[in-house]
Amino acid sequence: MVRPYLDCNSHALRPYLAAVRSTLTAALTLENFASQVVERHNKPEVEAQSSREVLLNPLVISRNENERVLIEPSVNSVRLSIKIKQADEIERALCAKFMRFMMVRAENFIVLRRKPVPGYDISFLITNSHTETMLKHKIVDFIIQFMEDVDREISEMKLSLNARARVVAETYLTVFG
Amino acid sequence: MILLESHNTIIQTVLAEKFSKPSSLDEHFVDYDGVRFRLSTPERKTLLRLSMNIRCWDQLAQYGAQQILEREYGTYLLPEAEPEYSVTLEFDTEKVPAEGAARDALIKSAALLKRIALGAPFELAFKNALALESGGSPPNATELMQIHYRDEEAIFVQAASDRVTVVFSTVFREEADRIFGKVFLQEFVDARRQPSIQTAPQVLFTAKEPPLEIRSAAGLKNSDDIGYVTFVIFPRHYNKPDVQNSTISHIQLFRSYLHYHIKCSKAYMRSRMRHRVAEFQKVLNRAKTEVATTERKTASGRTLVTR
Amino acid sequence: MSANFRKIDIDQYDEDTLLETELYDLDPRDPATVLADSKQKQSAVRSALAKGDIGSALVTVLDGAPYGPNVEEAKALTLQTLLLILNSTKSTDVPALLRALPAEAHDTLMKYLYKGMAMPGTGEVSGSVLLSWHEKLTEVAGTGCIVRVMTDRRTV
Repeated sequence: MVRPYLDCNSHALRPYLAAVRSTLTAALTLENFASQVVERHNKPEVEAQSSREVLLNPLVISRNENERVLIEPSVNSVRLSIKIKQADEIERALCAKFMRFMMVRAENFIVLRRKPVPGYDISFLITNSHTETMLKHKIVDFIIQFMEDVDREISEMKLSLNARARVVAETYLTVFG
Repeated sequence: MILLESHNTIIQTVLAEKFSKPSSLDEHFVDYDGVRFRLSTPERKTLLRLSMNIRCWDQLAQYGAQQILEREYGTYLLPEAEPEYSVTLEFDTEKVPAEGAARDALIKSAALLKRIALGAPFELAFKNALALESGGSPPNATELMQIHYRDEEAIFVQAASDRVTVVFSTVFREEADRIFGKVFLQEFVDARRQPSIQTAPQVLFTAKEPPLEIRSAAGLKNSDDIGYVTFVIFPRHYNKPDVQNSTISHIQLFRSYLHYHIKCSKAYMRSRMRHRVAEFQKVLNRAKTEVATTERKTASGRTLVTR
Repeated sequence: MSANFRKIDIDQYDEDTLLETELYDLDPRDPATVLADSKQKQSAVRSALAKGDIGSALVTVLDGAPYGPNVEEAKALTLQTLLLILNSTKSTDVPALLRALPAEAHDTLMKYLYKGMAMPGTGEVSGSVLLSWHEKLTEVAGTGCIVRVMTDRRTV
């Protein structure tokens, strides 16, 4: 199945990304907040989940059953998890490889989480220290661009795999003459 | 380079060199499917010994490999192979043909040792098929020949009066291999729709379930990673000697060809991903502010490291 | 004192522990009333839609929406009613309708949009309908509306 840029759902892509952008921007009001449970510790509250009062309501933005984004805000950190569209076995395998490839390099990515939240393919963790050293709207830009590029990359990898397969098969069989 | 080559490049280059300038050597090297070679000069530097260890030698001998090697190599073939090897050839550099076409032909033939040995069951099957086609009935003509050329993988060959069926059982060790393999094999199956390839052998593919032809074979493993690829070879691919030769050389290498290209694809995907990751990094770096990127130094000049 | 003293949940006896219910004001109505209210609203909305009056249908369903514990059925019913309205509105009418709503209603509507998107399965919710309403609502009510949804403990 080829994913042309103008498939039946593409009219929903723009509002999907716009919704993610506005929700993430709303969630990125973070400030430093020391742990209320352990003295002198400072943890991202969305990961520690220590008390209900520092956690805000998690929100889901979804385009359809298979593509959704979960945003879990808190006072000093935000967790963003993405479920990527994978239409068939090949896209699932390529997506899994790609996500794993990136998560292994999470340290270079700064905002990437080493493991995805269960039920999703990849997760980001943005803390107040990130928003202090980086421009918020650019972080949002990065996430949105990431979402677009991953979809496109998986599509292109699948196309190139099919093209390769065709050449490999034809070359082998033509020799028989 | 898309297609794999039948001859062993090391044998070719070393023999070409040593036939002109003999010197002592003891080289161990390998080929596809776990085949080991040894090129040595045990007695004197002008007597070159080439030995091959191929794990399915006993099965190949059953299908006439010994006679084929005798036919091909004549006196160069030693009656007893070196210990731990299946087959040994010996070349006296003082007695090999002079430089020229004859010598090149000899070297080429030596480099094809694996191909010739492994070609035995196919030669037998084609001979039987042609005999069956013209109405004869040689003994065991339609028997299912099995060659366990690799650890968990085998080739099955069966002759009939109008075709020869070759079945490869292959193991995909990783999930990704299995999925990529499926894509490739599906193209093999579909390729015949193309007008230029309509006359190629027919390819069929099943995952996990062995095809009907080989169900009777012993030792078939039942596992999710195994796939079976069937080639139906038609008389036009084996009814003339040179065509038959080419078919045998080509069909042997199928498994290595398939897995080679699966690995190439994986490497290509990896390089794409690496490129994409680098692009993402660039975008992320644009987000960093001046404050984060400027270096901070202490009074004595040492730099603070930020993680 | 039994030997399981280590397994006692000490936090439940601590007076200073924060309880979920302390974070917001509970709905003064009891669950039965809330459910009855939602059913009544549903029929009111249906008749408003039949007349083509989407504006008042929206106001009806968003006013006094059920929240808090114990009112799951009422919440589901209200969501269903709202989705009915969303699906029957022409996209060109949406901006005007939104501008006519009071600010409180914007917040409640936003809560329902997110709730709709969180629901698994396609069913009656169309991703594109919810997303287009979300886009237009954000334009009218601003990012602050989303922030209020995140911070308001009165989840629908």
